[in-house]
Amino acid sequence: MKRDDNHDGAIVDGEIEVRLQVNGASRRGRAEPRMLLADFLRQELVLTGTHLGCEHGVCGACTVLVDGAPVRSCLMLAVQAQGADVTTVEGLANGELHPLQQAFNEKHGLQCGFCTPGMLLSAAVLLEENPAPSSEEIREHLSGNICRCTGYVGIVEAVQAAAQAGGGAEASVATTPAAAS
Amino acid sequence: MAAEPMTVRSPQYVGARVLRVEDKKYLLGRGRYLDDVVLPAMAHAAFVRSPHAHALIKRVDVSAAKALEGVVAVLTGEELAELGSAFVTELQRPDVLSVTKPLLATDKVRHVGEAVAIVIAESRYLAEDGCDLVEIEWELLPAVVDAEEAISGDAPQLHDDVPNNNVAHIEFATDGVDAAFAAADHVFGKRFHCGRSHAAPLETRGVVADFDLGTEQLTMWSSTQLPHFLRTLIAPHLGLSEGDITVIAPDVGGGFGLKAHVFVEEAIIPLVARRVGRPVKWVEDRIEHLAASGHAKEIVMDVEIAVSDDGRFQAFRGRYIGDGGAYSGFPWSCLIDPLPAASLLPSLYDVRELGYTVDSALTNKCQTTAYRGPGMHPGHLARETLIEDIARKLKIDPVALRVKNCISSEPYVTANDMHYDGGSYIESIELAQELVDYAGFRREQLAAREQGRYIGIGFSPFVEAGTWGSEGARALGFPAEFYDTASVTMEPDGTVTVTTGTFSHGQGHHTSLAQVAADRLGVRLESVRVVDGDTSKATWGAGTYASRTATVAGGSIILAATDVRDKLLRIAAQMLEVSPDDIELYDGHATVTGVPEKTLPIATLAGIGYFGGPLRPEGQEHTLSATRYYDAPETYSNGVVVVIVEVDIETGAVELQRVVAVEDCGTMLNPMIVDGQVHGAIAQGIGGALYEEMVYDDAGQLLSGTLADFLYPSSMEIPSIEVSHLTTPSPTTEGGMKGMGEGGTIAAPAAVVNAITDALAPFEPEINHTPVRPSDVLALVARGPAQRTPKP
Repeated sequence: MKRDDNHDGAIVDGEIEVRLQVNGASRRGRAEPRMLLADFLRQELVLTGTHLGCEHGVCGACTVLVDGAPVRSCLMLAVQAQGADVTTVEGLANGELHPLQQAFNEKHGLQCGFCTPGMLLSAAVLLEENPAPSSEEIREHLSGNICRCTGYVGIVEAVQAAAQAGGGAEASVATTPAAAS
Repeated sequence: MAAEPMTVRSPQYVGARVLRVEDKKYLLGRGRYLDDVVLPAMAHAAFVRSPHAHALIKRVDVSAAKALEGVVAVLTGEELAELGSAFVTELQRPDVLSVTKPLLATDKVRHVGEAVAIVIAESRYLAEDGCDLVEIEWELLPAVVDAEEAISGDAPQLHDDVPNNNVAHIEFATDGVDAAFAAADHVFGKRFHCGRSHAAPLETRGVVADFDLGTEQLTMWSSTQLPHFLRTLIAPHLGLSEGDITVIAPDVGGGFGLKAHVFVEEAIIPLVARRVGRPVKWVEDRIEHLAASGHAKEIVMDVEIAVSDDGRFQAFRGRYIGDGGAYSGFPWSCLIDPLPAASLLPSLYDVRELGYTVDSALTNKCQTTAYRGPGMHPGHLARETLIEDIARKLKIDPVALRVKNCISSEPYVTANDMHYDGGSYIESIELAQELVDYAGFRREQLAAREQGRYIGIGFSPFVEAGTWGSEGARALGFPAEFYDTASVTMEPDGTVTVTTGTFSHGQGHHTSLAQVAADRLGVRLESVRVVDGDTSKATWGAGTYASRTATVAGGSIILAATDVRDKLLRIAAQMLEVSPDDIELYDGHATVTGVPEKTLPIATLAGIGYFGGPLRPEGQEHTLSATRYYDAPETYSNGVVVVIVEVDIETGAVELQRVVAVEDCGTMLNPMIVDGQVHGAIAQGIGGALYEEMVYDDAGQLLSGTLADFLYPSSMEIPSIEVSHLTTPSPTTEGGMKGMGEGGTIAAPAAVVNAITDALAPFEPEINHTPVRPSDVLALVARGPAQRTPKP
């Protein structure tokens, strides 16, 4: 991972200033060393699309992209993201819905919506790596993201549909600073 | 948007696969869940919870916690008891004892995870720091973790006022049931233990409370399925009137029945918010959720079937001992599992002699609460796996045995007076047989066995007791009034606002209920907005659970919209100078039937309704609004789940190769949403059959305290699920809808178990508990008489 060492913050009253790129924009906030990245995104940066389902790294609801890689933001400290490039669900749409978001609507890939942000980000990484995944590949890739509502049927169909719509090739999220505006 | 030509009409909304209008906010990450609620000056709460299963509290020392910088307050059970009153769960029937639960434990704790003290601090991090500093001195008591042992007369007592730890002993028997068993050619029986489960929605529970010291009114947000009912039930415990409380259910990340209860935390957080004079937030963490919210479905069942030589079922008998845990879940009680399990024993079989007993034990485990298909899922497992065993012993095909004993498609009254409203009971089984090519599968199965491969098929036809109107609830043993209300208002510009006391938390009601209203009023779907989840904005209702919303809320919306429709028709009739009977409301227009050029936009009629003066029919009230209630009569969905598995006898692994479901829920509002409910329900059923269990050791220590122990099925464990529909509209409900959403969870576990039994037939297995783990499969293989055939 690339890091900008100039951003290492000083400790003030037990808190450290954390500077990072989030969804293409420069952001900064203060975090105790123990603060989870998920809490930092949700509380300090008020990006509440990232959800916490278990806080012990099993359910995948808190998945965000850190320097393009899917990360459980409940298992990473905010200070570890110093200088990183983070993508959250709020960074997926760029004026119009990302093909995955469109496909999740069309294929009924969500019910309560709580797992959806993490699911979308995991799926986005898959389509970047493999623009035409088989259903088995989709299932394997998404096996770290739990959905309690859909039985995964609509989710797998949605990822396939998004792939067919060019969701992998044209709507890259992990490397493009999109949705900054 | 330009008006479409009249010849191109939009489809009828009800029955159409309309995409969900609520999706976009979730997809953009703009859902607002409980933990997203932030108020000025808000403090944060964390609970100190018991590490012991059963212990006296000798001393609680909160001084170090109170002294921690950033801690606002620390309260113990005794202090909470002065602020608000304990919960008393009582069912409105004389044979069920009431059970009391203090808000926080005062003198003793009865399960691991029971809350003992609460710490309020400037952040959740600091609140948890404070919890670590609370010192409690315990005197340990012996624990009981087995339901039968708990009611044996020889076990530690949990509650002084619940003798023998048994909340209820309920008996039912037809006059001839014992004689039928005595005279039967065969009596088959089995004991089945359904594992302790957990609804475990992906969003845990949570409460935010804001007590306004100026108005003395409370606003509380809760991750609940029943905002109005919560307000009704919680007000007495807070010492407030309902009028002084607003309950808001924000977006809720799944409930599955668990959040259709009222929990002590929903009283505690408002009470402490008032005490500290600041808004307070508590979001349950997953560890608390697993240990201390609500478990489900653990029942020990003895089921017997009397059968004639030719395979006719003559009588059913069952004994059900529910393991309710330490308290009786509020308000449904710990009968929520064993009583429906027993009541639905007849299912779709034509059996006139019937008997059952129900006991509801208290043990030193987390309380039980409803979870999708409560009781029905375990009861179904016991009966359907026994039928599978009987078929094998009588050498009758298990599907043929079921069809032979199945009721016809006509309405049917069971021996325990449940009034089925007709369904595709046999037809759904036959359709499922076609869909899986049952005969072809049997040939394939024989060929596979020749190669040392063990594939099997399991059928699980079901009747689902959903809807939970007053009659349906009473039929399951819960006598109270359960109806719902809706208001339908056409605004002056012709748009429509529907309010309902049910609450969508993933089921897509903002789409499906809008479909109902749009059709009834002849407006376009995008003109209709559904408002729920806020007691200050929507009419009173009992909430969303028990598959009741399409039927009960749908019915109340039909009735209210019909009242508004009648006013629109009268206005249109006056304007177009015809009889109201000659007006058609469709696609946003009122048109004289057969005269397409005589038409008016419905928005114009709405404007006339509000401001039309003499254009408004004489005597018609200005408002275009109606509020109506609806209490659905008994109605029952039906269907079948079929599972095909391959069992690896070397590793014990069970691979689901195919899952086929046939669903009949009467009139479908939105088939896409129905399919989604079937998918999700079956996935949870598969979880219960193979993976999920809350396990305690003999001392009452919880061994399944994390998601590394309680195993959700992932996308690797759940195969694609094929869903087909039959439609037998209810002759009794408004609109013909029948409650659906739980059948998959009721039926899938037995389908999985029966498929494993079928695959391992050469080993003559008898499966008598869930979940069925690989070690269980290996034990069945090791015990069986068949020679293990090595794979080629």
